Amino acid sequence: MSLEAHEELLNGLVEKGKSHYPNEFGGILVGYYSQDNTYLHITDTILPKTFKASKFSFERSTKGIERKLGIYYKEIPKQFYVGEWHTHPDNSPIPSLTDISALNAIINNQDACLANPVLLIIGYSKRKVDFGFYVWFENKLYRYE
Amino acid sequence: MDKNSHLETVIRTHQITKEKELLNKHIQKKNEVKNALEDEYGSNVYAPFNSGSYEKNTAINTKFDFDLVSPFRRNAFGSGGTLKEMYEAVYDFLFHKYKNVAEVRKQKVSIGLEFYTDSDGDKIKIDVVPGRELNQDQYKDDENLNLFVYYKYGNIDAGSERIKTNVQSQINNIKERANKEKDSIRKIIRLLKVWKNTKGNYPTKSFFLELITIKAFDKGNITGNLWDKLKAVLEYIRDNITNSDFTLKDPGNSSNDLADTLTDSEKDQLANDMKNMLDRIKENDENLKTYFPENPKFKEEDKNRYKTNGSIPMPPPKLNFG
Repeated sequence: MSLEAHEELLNGLVEKGKSHYPNEFGGILVGYYSQDNTYLHITDTILPKTFKASKFSFERSTKGIERKLGIYYKEIPKQFYVGEWHTHPDNSPIPSLTDISALNAIINNQDACLANPVLLIIGYSKRKVDFGFYVWFENKLYRYE
Repeated sequence: MDKNSHLETVIRTHQITKEKELLNKHIQKKNEVKNALEDEYGSNVYAPFNSGSYEKNTAINTKFDFDLVSPFRRNAFGSGGTLKEMYEAVYDFLFHKYKNVAEVRKQKVSIGLEFYTDSDGDKIKIDVVPGRELNQDQYKDDENLNLFVYYKYGNIDAGSERIKTNVQSQINNIKERANKEKDSIRKIIRLLKVWKNTKGNYPTKSFFLELITIKAFDKGNITGNLWDKLKAVLEYIRDNITNSDFTLKDPGNSSNDLADTLTDSEKDQLANDMKNMLDRIKENDENLKTYFPENPKFKEEDKNRYKTNGSIPMPPPKLNFG
C-alpha cells in the first residue's frame, strides 16, 4: 500500500494549521485509489466550517462537507473521502488515544464506507515540521514508511 | 464490490509472465515439433509458425494455445493429393513420432499433441494445423492456405475442404487491434477466455471470441471502465449471435464466416450463457467472481489493498482528535 500527496497540498495544510496556532486544526482528506487499490492519491482537503479546538484537541463537524464531496465525486477519476488530518502544535506527529478512537469511529461508521482510512498528523514547532501518515488496516494503525 | 478492481485482478493473476517456466516449456516443445516437421518434409513444407494466442498477445496462463500452422506445398502429397491425404499423412507422421510420449488426436482442423505430464506435473499441448497452399509456390506471395475439416465444425461438414484462409492475416489483425486498444480489446478477450475455461470443453473457439470482441467494438459505442466495456461486449454477443444475418468474417479470408463454426444450438447456448451471466451479475455483483475467477495459483491476498464498502464514503458527522 502506498500513497502520494503533492508537496503543494501538504504545504497548504501546514500553513492552514499554523494559522490556528497554538490550537490544533484539521480537516478531511480527499483522494482516490488506483484501479488495483494498492495506491492512494491524496488530492485535496475540505476544511470544516465549524469546529472546536484547543492546544490538545480538535473536534470538527461536517457542515457543508457533504455538498463539496458530491462535487469531487463527479470528477474523473472519482474523488472521495479517504481520511482525516490534523495538527499537533509543538509536538510530534504521533497519534494520541483520541486519534485512534477517531479512526475506530470511522471504521464502525456505516456511511464512512472506508476499511482503510488514512490519518495525517502534522507535528510542528517554530523550527520544524514532521508529517506522520498512518493507515488503519485490520484493526491496527500502521505508519507509512 | 468494486467490479473493475476484481476484473483487473483476474487479468493480473492470469498474466502469462507468471508462468514463465511453463511458457518456456511450450515454446521449447513447439520448436521440437516444428523441427521434426521440417526434417520429415524438407522443402515440401514452408516454415511452420505459431498462430496461437501467445502470438496474438491474448494468452492467459491457465490455457496456452499453441497452434503450429504447417504450410505445405501444393504438390507435397503428390500433384493430385487431396487435403484429406495431407491431413492423414501428417497425423500418421506425428502419431508414430510421438505415440510413446503423447496422446495424438485428430481434431477439427488440427492434430492435437498432448504430452504426458512431466516431472513438474506440467502438461504441454501443441496443436498442429496442416494447411496447403492454393497453387504450387503461391504461398510465399499470398500466404493463403486450405485447411481440411476432419470433424464436423459447427455448420461446416466433416471432410469439407472449404476452409481457405490466411493465418498470418488472422494473427496480424487480432494482434494489431489488441495492441492498439490494449486497455480494451485485449483485456476483454482475456476475460472471455477466463470465462470459457470455467465452462470446460466449450464449443466456442478462442478465435471466435477474439473476433466477436473486435466486432462488438467496431459496431457499438463501447466506452467507460473495464466492467462497462465487458458488459457491453457480453450484451452484444447475447443480442446478436442468434440473429440469422449475423456473420463473423475471417480476417484471413472474408468469404469464411466464423459464425458457421457454431451450430444453431451452440449459438443459442452462447446467447443464453451471456444472458444468464448478465442477469446474475445484475442481481448480485459478487456473482462476477464465479464467472470471472482469479487464477487460484496466483490469487492475490487482500493485504496491501485499500478497500471501500461500496457506496460513496462520507465522513462521520463529528470526530475528536487529540
